[in-house]
Amino acid sequence: MQTRSIVLAVLVAVVAGATWYYLSHRSTATGETLAVYYTKLDGATLGVMRVSLRPREPGESSAERLHNVALYGAVEALAGPPSDVQAIRFPPGTRVASVSVDGSTATVDLSNEVTQQAGGAFGENGEFKALVYTLTGITGIDAVQILVQGNRLETLPGGHLELDQPLHRADW
Amino acid sequence: MNWINRSIARTGKLAAAIGFAGVLVAALPVRANTALVATYQGHMLRFTHVASRSGVAAIGVGDPAFQTLLRETGSFLTWKPGERYILITTSAPTVVSFALGDRRYDVGPIALQAALAPYVQGDEAYLPLRELLRSLDLALREDGAVAVLQPQLASLDVHQEGVRTTVLAHGGALLHARVVTESGTAITYAFDGVGTTLNGTREIGTGGVASIAISESGTVREPITLVSVTLQSGAIPESPQNADGRDVLLAFDGAQEAPYASEAPAEASPTPEPEPPQAAAGTAPAVVTSVSAAPSADGMSVVIALSGNATYEWHRLRDPDNRFWVDISGAQLQGPPIDQQGQEPILSIRVRQNDPTTVRVALSLNGPKAIVVTPSASGLGIAVGSTDVADAPRLGSGSIGTVAAAAAPSIPAPSAPEEESAWKFAPHSGYVATNPRLIVIDPGHGGSDRGTIHGGVAEAALALDMARRLRTILVARGWQVKLTHDSDVDVYQPNDSPHDELQARVDIANTAGARLFVSIHANAYVNSGPYGTTFYVSKPGDAALARAIETRMTNDGTKDDGIVKSHMYVTFHTRMPAVLIETAFLSNPSDYELLTSSAWRQKVAEEMAEGIAEYAQEYPVANQPAQ
Repeated sequence: MQTRSIVLAVLVAVVAGATWYYLSHRSTATGETLAVYYTKLDGATLGVMRVSLRPREPGESSAERLHNVALYGAVEALAGPPSDVQAIRFPPGTRVASVSVDGSTATVDLSNEVTQQAGGAFGENGEFKALVYTLTGITGIDAVQILVQGNRLETLPGGHLELDQPLHRADW
Repeated sequence: MNWINRSIARTGKLAAAIGFAGVLVAALPVRANTALVATYQGHMLRFTHVASRSGVAAIGVGDPAFQTLLRETGSFLTWKPGERYILITTSAPTVVSFALGDRRYDVGPIALQAALAPYVQGDEAYLPLRELLRSLDLALREDGAVAVLQPQLASLDVHQEGVRTTVLAHGGALLHARVVTESGTAITYAFDGVGTTLNGTREIGTGGVASIAISESGTVREPITLVSVTLQSGAIPESPQNADGRDVLLAFDGAQEAPYASEAPAEASPTPEPEPPQAAAGTAPAVVTSVSAAPSADGMSVVIALSGNATYEWHRLRDPDNRFWVDISGAQLQGPPIDQQGQEPILSIRVRQNDPTTVRVALSLNGPKAIVVTPSASGLGIAVGSTDVADAPRLGSGSIGTVAAAAAPSIPAPSAPEEESAWKFAPHSGYVATNPRLIVIDPGHGGSDRGTIHGGVAEAALALDMARRLRTILVARGWQVKLTHDSDVDVYQPNDSPHDELQARVDIANTAGARLFVSIHANAYVNSGPYGTTFYVSKPGDAALARAIETRMTNDGTKDDGIVKSHMYVTFHTRMPAVLIETAFLSNPSDYELLTSSAWRQKVAEEMAEGIAEYAQEYPVANQPAQ
């Protein structure tokens, strides 16, 4: 009788474990995706491309996961769509130096090339709209603070868009 | 579509390449911490951070030769110690994503498996060599005893638009398509300096192209990839176009009699065999008398005029294949088929007698646009919005005509636009202008900040000129006007910070309790493509002012890019209704001609004044000048 109980308990544990494993890894099978936005050349409307996200690794905490997805999203948004797709693009050479997430605000540190704007509101508006839309599309992020070479700027040099406070989707 | 095709091409190519490169890498003298010397574009690269794990070659991201290779291929790597993800942005641009401890790597939207999971040794991440080279569109080949990093013709994206086919070639080096042979039925292009693993023939069968064959010739160091296109009868190849350094666009115009049925792929179209027209049973068939398209408030509106009764069924394909078509059963098309280019967001419109009782109206769209299909007694309206929607309905049906107009057809409602954003701030109605006769005009930039400069013309000077012209007109209409600066100077102080400069302008308007704030600018972009007038707003109260001025500025020689909400400093921080007008693009030749014409600047100033008058009439406050 005791043996049967032990076997049953082990069986229950195995089934529970397998169920947990299945449920916790289910998103892997379906494939999570991330919407990467770009601003079209009308200066206002957004296009979207979807990239797949690698599954969460064992030992990857939810905070680390959010950081990794945000980093990937920021790099994808800066890369933009393939060159044959017409899109407003960040100045050539602009890179993501780092991304950190504090609460629901992602801070994206960009390289100095981002200051090499053409001069009009068109470029900066389209560039940051796409970046903010991409990052705020990630569950857990609703604001994006921009840094340039580690510094908070009021606007880009000769710029128009206010960058010294976090940007939200509602800004557009 | 291109993205997908490119990825598929890459995947196929990768499978072959992995096998091939695997043999080569195994054959090369790669051992732990030995150097790998390879020639690339005529010079030697000596990779010193080379390691081997389980017989698979890996390279450290800090390897100086690898850094050189990244630079020369126009790529860059995002990683620092402590990060799990290692991301490479290629020149395509495509983001290639590796992660420590995970054999999976992603090339754009496609997930692949590498032979080795990236790992960290010391402070350096090591990546599997052959997958890394693939992602840079390079292949490691051997020429005798010498290793060669050979640029590859990496992908061919075949894209059909009705009777036209475009083929976008992308490579790991600057591409140039050289026509080698050309006859009425075939054309062969040579791409010098690139090899390929895309060898083989693909059947196309529509859009003027029967098939495309790819083969390789030349030597390992000086490879040539040959692309032979067999044409359909009557097809005409266009001259190859260099889209950018690593892309070449080949285009083919098919004969007009190409079968229209190819427009809707069989597997994607659930349209059954033509059914007997229900609404038209026992009556004369309905007649489609005209199909017209016109711009609407939010996109384009297509109107299908129909006499009689018919049923319809519409379908749309899933993004990125943004084709939409509606089949009108029990109908005859009056007049010839229509095949014309559209206006954004519609790329093209085609109208055909698809079978003896069905008229098909097909739209090709530039994105997954919101579509609303509305039947009436006299036809069918198709409203195509300018915004993209996620998970839009993909089919619907209903009836047109007097018999069926009473019965409400089931039309799936389009989902809310994904990018629609709620106003973040309360409506601006709470603002009371202490000086209701005062309008503050802010000429953009000035003094030490010249704004954008093209052909020796500075935005600051043009903005000041337009602002002065506007002031003259407004003063004549009874307004008080204050310019944030009346000569070409900084408002706060020379070489001040953007914050101080912009806040000083905002302060002038806020302190004076102005009725309105208008900031005048000229736009620019890194290339000459974009043109037009844009009205930037931030607060809810700004939009009505922008709209009133926009309405007056629609016919001034450039296009209207509309009202765009953004977080612009001056519109965001001013308390009164405000608009930042980017009048035209100094970077566009046609707009440049306008901006540098004093007559045009005068016209624009008058239009702004008209718009302001209209706004003041519509939203009057006490003690404002009579309009």
